[in-house]
Amino acid sequence: MTEKTDFLNGNVACAEGAIAAGCRFFAGYPITPSTEIAERMAARLPKIGGTFVQMEDELASVAAIIGGSWAGARTMTATSGPGFSLMMENIGYAAMTETPIVIINVQRGGPSTGQPTKAAQGDMLQCRYGSHGDYSIIALSPSSVQEMFDLTVRAFNLADRFRTPVFLMADETIGHMREKVSLHSDVEIIPRRELKEGELPCAPDENGVPGFGTFGNGHNIHITGLTHSENGYPSTDSAEVHEQLIRRQVGKIEDFRNEIADVDIVNPDAEYIFISYGAPTRTVRQLMADVPETYGHLNLRIVWPFPDESLLAFKNAKAFIIPEMNLGQIAKEVRQYTNIPIVIVPKLGGALHTPAELKKAAEVAKTVTKPMTEVRL
Amino acid sequence: MNLEDWYRQDRLPHIYCAGCGNGTVLNCTLRAVQELGFRQEETTFISGIGCSSRASGYTSSDSLHTTHGRALAFATGVKLVKPHQHVIVFTGDGDCSAIGGNHFIHACRRNIDLTVVCINNNIYGMTGGQGSPCTPYGAITTTTPYGMHEQPFDLCKLAEAAGANYVARWTSYHVKELTEAIRSGLEVPGLSFIEVMTQCPTSFGSKNKMRLATQMIDMFRENAVLKVKADRDTAAGKPLEPGKFIVGEFVRRHNPPLGVEESK
Amino acid sequence: MKLVINDHRCKGCNMCTKVCPYGIFQEGARPGARGYIIPVLDHPERCTNCRLQKFYGRQLCGMCQTTCPDQAISWIDEQPFEPHKVVIEY
Repeated sequence: MTEKTDFLNGNVACAEGAIAAGCRFFAGYPITPSTEIAERMAARLPKIGGTFVQMEDELASVAAIIGGSWAGARTMTATSGPGFSLMMENIGYAAMTETPIVIINVQRGGPSTGQPTKAAQGDMLQCRYGSHGDYSIIALSPSSVQEMFDLTVRAFNLADRFRTPVFLMADETIGHMREKVSLHSDVEIIPRRELKEGELPCAPDENGVPGFGTFGNGHNIHITGLTHSENGYPSTDSAEVHEQLIRRQVGKIEDFRNEIADVDIVNPDAEYIFISYGAPTRTVRQLMADVPETYGHLNLRIVWPFPDESLLAFKNAKAFIIPEMNLGQIAKEVRQYTNIPIVIVPKLGGALHTPAELKKAAEVAKTVTKPMTEVRL
Repeated sequence: MNLEDWYRQDRLPHIYCAGCGNGTVLNCTLRAVQELGFRQEETTFISGIGCSSRASGYTSSDSLHTTHGRALAFATGVKLVKPHQHVIVFTGDGDCSAIGGNHFIHACRRNIDLTVVCINNNIYGMTGGQGSPCTPYGAITTTTPYGMHEQPFDLCKLAEAAGANYVARWTSYHVKELTEAIRSGLEVPGLSFIEVMTQCPTSFGSKNKMRLATQMIDMFRENAVLKVKADRDTAAGKPLEPGKFIVGEFVRRHNPPLGVEESK
Repeated sequence: MKLVINDHRCKGCNMCTKVCPYGIFQEGARPGARGYIIPVLDHPERCTNCRLQKFYGRQLCGMCQTTCPDQAISWIDEQPFEPHKVVIEY
């Protein structure tokens, strides 16, 4: 195993992770704060037999990586909020056609142009529900530069295993922060399953995932964003075909949600539990170090599909305290799976939570009776 | 390979209305592909959304039916990852010039080695005949009930200005010339843009006194002016009569293309 | 070779009647299998491709087949061979 230690910012670590995972095609459009990923890919890819292309907009970026994915490459794009909004159309297409792609969203303050150079976590629901219709995706959330590297590799493996768009929902803090990172070159790679001879292009295997008919391998397949039957041909009139297709596409991810789950559970016997992902995890960890053995902590490295069973680990929980850099997007998801009171600690504007603020929220949590309480910092 | 093998026989007859020109354009494209002796596994058809874009569903090779206007962006991805693949894009006038206008000019600017067959039927056919950026001035459509009061695009001039290596326009009446043009387009490296004026008797013709497909074909025969004749007329100071349009090969040049293998 | 119209595919647009240089296709009067009025063939033995495809080893003319938007026109081998009397019209 060759390992190299470096001191990089999160975006560069992400690009290095993608290259280690075998990504050989990147299409992107410049946007703060994700541009370093495109810059690094532009410098690195041509030297290792890959292709970098700067597209005319984010709509085209996603379109190009979907095309590239069907041509057989592991493909990726990187963007931030406004570009992410533009991508929604083709994200739905990727979900419907079950195309493995990886999209990095280095989140910034929104809506609209918002705060280009400040961190936020405001796109968490958009990445899950942004495109129209019912579908399911996988979203990861890194909280350190090392995780930017490791989770990017993971994202490619999940995309190929589940044939779905996978999002790495980083934020500006993680993207621009420099930390020590170890860059492994021989990471685990789970390749996509190629379509077998005689197998129908959209017929599921035992995991609900069809084989992938790479273009140019003589499969002669037709891929369409229309409702399609198992042979891949459009079949838009039949309610039965549509329901079967959508239920399978959602089920292939949602039925495996606890297999996909990747969480850290700390102090499961505690009464007051912090749930966090991304940058706020760092503050929670600081608090846990400052006052050990007091609070529990659930860190979500994979946010979507939501790992509901991990909530059951906290047997004595009296309240869940959820610091987020948005107005409580994941808190509402937690609400769906628990009757334990929830304290949301939203913080907007780009600054991270401080340990003192979280401590204050934990004090409020001791008194709550309502299902959902917001702590105004 | 036989010409018949290029059709997905299990999908025919297709969904197009009686008299629709899209089937003719499909014939010409597949004929060009067959004449060049391409193999199925190295040919990819990509299309956007609309009547024209359903064509990729009837071609027997890998085909990608994508989102509205974005076919060229998808094709860019396929071509850059597999440069030896012959990528043919079916698109329509609305798909290519309205919602996909940006992708179109940028694909031309990049001069990526694709062949774009733009089926221009003057309207949005699949949604029932609304005006498009290529609807002729004064034509009646469902969204221009008092006549189109905006000027149409000249897609060939647009492609030429944006940098395409091969640009031609024919109609669905000129099947031999069209086949030849698509063939040339496939042979010329870089972006080849072939605009095909086709008839939509159902949505365009019926509102513009050409209810029958044969009437629209007569209109093409009368109004299409060969480029050589048009050039001669222009030199003699005679402008193009209103309602007429020029057909022929407009551009064939060898600017450096993108997405072509080094060895080529 | 014999010229045939597949009446499961033909949608009766009569485009073939416009393009055949010999005027072999004529507008029909009776509906075919799917209810469309299918064109009729007038002395199809005049068709160049019918007579000469085998001789030249490639397709000749083919305007009707290329134009037919519904892929309904094709040539089939006659089994058994039927001799045709070719009437030359002056």
